[in-house]
Amino acid sequence: MVKTLPKDEVSISELVDRPWITIVWDDPVNLMNYVTHVLIKLFGFSKERAHELMMQVHNEGRAVVSSGTREEMERDVQRLHEHGLWATLQRDDKI
Amino acid sequence: MSNFEKVGDGYSLDLTLDEAQILINLVEQLLELLGEGDFFHHYDSSDPLAQLLAMPSEIVTPDDPVLLRLLPNAYADPEAASDFRRYTEPQLRGAKQKNLRLVREQLTVLVDENLGGVIEDIEADVWLKALNDLRIALSIRLEISETSFETFDLLPDEDPQKPVYAVYFWLGWLQENLLELLL
Repeated sequence: MVKTLPKDEVSISELVDRPWITIVWDDPVNLMNYVTHVLIKLFGFSKERAHELMMQVHNEGRAVVSSGTREEMERDVQRLHEHGLWATLQRDDKI
Repeated sequence: MSNFEKVGDGYSLDLTLDEAQILINLVEQLLELLGEGDFFHHYDSSDPLAQLLAMPSEIVTPDDPVLLRLLPNAYADPEAASDFRRYTEPQLRGAKQKNLRLVREQLTVLVDENLGGVIEDIEADVWLKALNDLRIALSIRLEISETSFETFDLLPDEDPQKPVYAVYFWLGWLQENLLELLL
């Protein structure tokens, strides 16, 4: 037997519209301060949050910097590429 | 020694003639690699009609490792990457050329007068992006890794790569110098 979830707990639009993420990858060239600067500039992060994400890229090799629709992530990746950061987009595996 | 400085709301850059010449040579080389003079150079990316007309039916993934790093694949999947490249690469290439051309324009003044000096009205964002692209280009040629500083230290002075490393590290210092004024 299964029980259906109440209607408002299942958001189809969230599954359809938000399954994409932008990933910034580590490279041996971009300066730490530069990556922080770009993240603040492009995504409006606080200095602390941008620094945290930069450190995640540095230590773990990658960090998710944004999520949203595919079109939004394509725009984010393009802007990151304009700044010389190595970025890709993909579906969020977590969903 | 070259230096960025904050002047009022803007920035200035003090360069010796040698430094200006090194920079302008690198900028020229990168512009050439990015294909200066191709027709994307002239198209106005803000005009949707021009964008549509300028859109090629296919853009191949660059063979040159420098170009591939400057104009990277946006997707791990080759087909999605290629499709994305077709729609966006001209604009990305154009943005990089635009930054480099602005930097070249400002450097030309110093080099033409055969003097070092101060460049006023530095657009921090343009210079940061251009310096970064130059560093990326050199890093690929030098096969820079996390340990390259030690590699550089161990190179004998007569090694032909030594001055290239020196320029690479100088560009990093210059970029850091400007970033410190911004952060």
